[in-house]
Amino acid sequence: MKTKSMWSFRLSTAALVLIPIAIGINYIGKTIAAGLKLPLWLDSLGTILSSMLAGPIVGGLSGIINNIIYGITLDPVSTVYAITSGVIGIVVGALAYKGWVNNFAKALLLGLVVGAIAATVSTPLNMIFWEGQTGNVWGDALYAYILSQNGPIWLASFLDSIVVDLPDKLISVLLCFFIFKGLPKNVKRLYQNNQRFEEL
Amino acid sequence: MTLYVKQDSLIHEIDPITKVIYAFVAALLPYILPSHTVALIVLVISIMLLVVGKVFRKIIPLIGLSLFLIVSLVIIQGIFRPDNVTPLFHFGPIIFYKEGLSYGLLLMLRVINLLCAFGVLILTTKPDDLIQSFIQKGMSPRIGYVIGSVLQLIPQMSATIATIKDAQRSRGLETEGSLLVRIKAFLPLIGPVIMNSLISTRERSIALEVRGFNAKQKKTFLHEVHTYKYAKVIQAVLILIFIFAILWRIFL
Amino acid sequence: MLSCGGFSYEKIIVENLKYKYPDTDQLALNDVSFEVEEGEVIGIVGQNSAGKSSLCLALTGLIPHFFNGAYGGKVLIDGIEVKTSTITDLSQKAGLVFDNPFTQMTASKYTVYDEIAFGLENIGVSREEMIERVDWSLKMMGIENIKDKNPFDLSGGQMQRVAIASVIAMRPEILVLDEPTSQLDPQASEEVFRVIQQLSQEGITIVIAEHKMEKLASFTDRILLLYEGKQIDFDTPQKVFSRDDLHDYGVVPPIFTTYCKAMGMKNKKTNTYPVTLAEVSSLLGGENNEWNKS
Repeated sequence: MKTKSMWSFRLSTAALVLIPIAIGINYIGKTIAAGLKLPLWLDSLGTILSSMLAGPIVGGLSGIINNIIYGITLDPVSTVYAITSGVIGIVVGALAYKGWVNNFAKALLLGLVVGAIAATVSTPLNMIFWEGQTGNVWGDALYAYILSQNGPIWLASFLDSIVVDLPDKLISVLLCFFIFKGLPKNVKRLYQNNQRFEEL
Repeated sequence: MTLYVKQDSLIHEIDPITKVIYAFVAALLPYILPSHTVALIVLVISIMLLVVGKVFRKIIPLIGLSLFLIVSLVIIQGIFRPDNVTPLFHFGPIIFYKEGLSYGLLLMLRVINLLCAFGVLILTTKPDDLIQSFIQKGMSPRIGYVIGSVLQLIPQMSATIATIKDAQRSRGLETEGSLLVRIKAFLPLIGPVIMNSLISTRERSIALEVRGFNAKQKKTFLHEVHTYKYAKVIQAVLILIFIFAILWRIFL
Repeated sequence: MLSCGGFSYEKIIVENLKYKYPDTDQLALNDVSFEVEEGEVIGIVGQNSAGKSSLCLALTGLIPHFFNGAYGGKVLIDGIEVKTSTITDLSQKAGLVFDNPFTQMTASKYTVYDEIAFGLENIGVSREEMIERVDWSLKMMGIENIKDKNPFDLSGGQMQRVAIASVIAMRPEILVLDEPTSQLDPQASEEVFRVIQQLSQEGITIVIAEHKMEKLASFTDRILLLYEGKQIDFDTPQKVFSRDDLHDYGVVPPIFTTYCKAMGMKNKKTNTYPVTLAEVSSLLGGENNEWNKS
């Protein structure tokens, strides 16, 4: 089944149709999490799931398009993080393809890696646009604390990000891992575009 | 799902691509040239365009979304910015400094300006027109499909959520109470929507395939392009300003 | 393209078609062979998983091109071999409508009018012709009044007619419908059946998989009976529904046939039971009574 590279840009129709669904799931996750007043964003479930299902290209596109669309429809600030979302999709897609979603322990590790990478990518963006802050209460409190202790801004900014991103991405990846495991086989195979029919 | 406001205005008449260029140039200028004056001038221009576009009132909730970020920027920079030296005033033991407040104010202007600049685009441009303009500029129609589809599906999926919420509640799912209770409610609420929407991708793919989605022919369009007389001139001016700003920053 | 000697009056030719979905062991279609003439209306009947949907997908090229799996035999649509063609090319020969109205909407167009034009934009139809075709489709389906509505704001029955309009705008000569009314209420089903019959009168060849046997009996020319992927029969509704072993294949004949069977009312000439109300009443009220109690 893995004859074609996971990096192929020739996406099947099903893989393309998955992208808007993924973005919709991101939105639904965010809405429900906010509705339940959970202390997490949970706004990247769709991106992560689509990456697990269809690989890094679909995952990356889901992430980037997700933030651009939020930017032009609901919240312009989110456009800034299109890069972060894209990187999350690419990382999850590539690592899932390498077998990082085969069991719970690996998925746990994947969640930590994704959280750390998300914070690393967001930090320079936060530095450029808002002097390293994130607009999250807990993150910004930590940021203020580090600065008051005369810590460097980049460190304050990175910790500001990681406080927000690490738990959120870890929980998100684990939730997606359970959903992914529960999906029927014919749904999982739908998004691979590397098959041919055989003669009978 | 769209913030587009249907109005009859000069700004609505401008073609989408010109407005996209405006949004980016206007949003980035105060970052390229870090001065309060530049940020203020660009912000005033954006606000004027919003007023001419008859959509000024619609920008307020948009700014409201980022209110916490904006306030937090001014306060934290005012108190903690490393190069703070000149105390300005204090609340009890908390001292606000001139340098930090000034910088926080610049950050605030930048954020509000970014919101207003994109507001000009978002509030006065129909999403389908925007997508079609990009396709005609060479963006893949398949990506165009994806964007169009998101805007159509999100309200659809939100409606499903409301239905599921009611159904789950009537079956005794608790969505209020301690954090643990609320965490436990998350998966039963979102699970069915995720499953159904993933399963629906198969049928939707079929529906698209039988309507030539993978056709190799050059695509045609039902709607004619929305053209604007002064598009080229305005675009050229915007890009020149942008280049000039970068050169100014580098050489002066 | 000129075909030398390959010209056939048959719109659809299926020869020894076999198909197996990926990751399955059983054949979904097992040696199916039949031919359909231009303008005919063909009903496909059989219980769930008899192969009705698979056959519909095979006539429109989704089997094998979308589903992959294992494929054998031959399907010719208007002279074009499905196996070596593409779904796009076939879509202009044989259109497909299926049961779920909601998923058949592209979800990327904001009005019914634009929705119907979607396929035409993809295959590069000129703007003038596009408008002409969309207007024709709207009229055929009787949905001109909702052309400016958002497809997702419609009722199931309206949505299904938009789905049919979107497919016939591609101007196929064959329309394949896979249980087009199974998710609709009775009134909406009636409307959908009415427009299908109208399309048939326009000369479009129709293949329809359906569970509503009374409906099928009233407007199909021939019925294809499938069971576990195998073709059991392909004949007139009277012949197929008069079979004594119909129940073994999980098919319930039209209510009229069941009654007449119970009462032993048979057409002596053809040796079949009536399948429609019209046939029953001609038996009961007709002067030259060709139906007799046996």
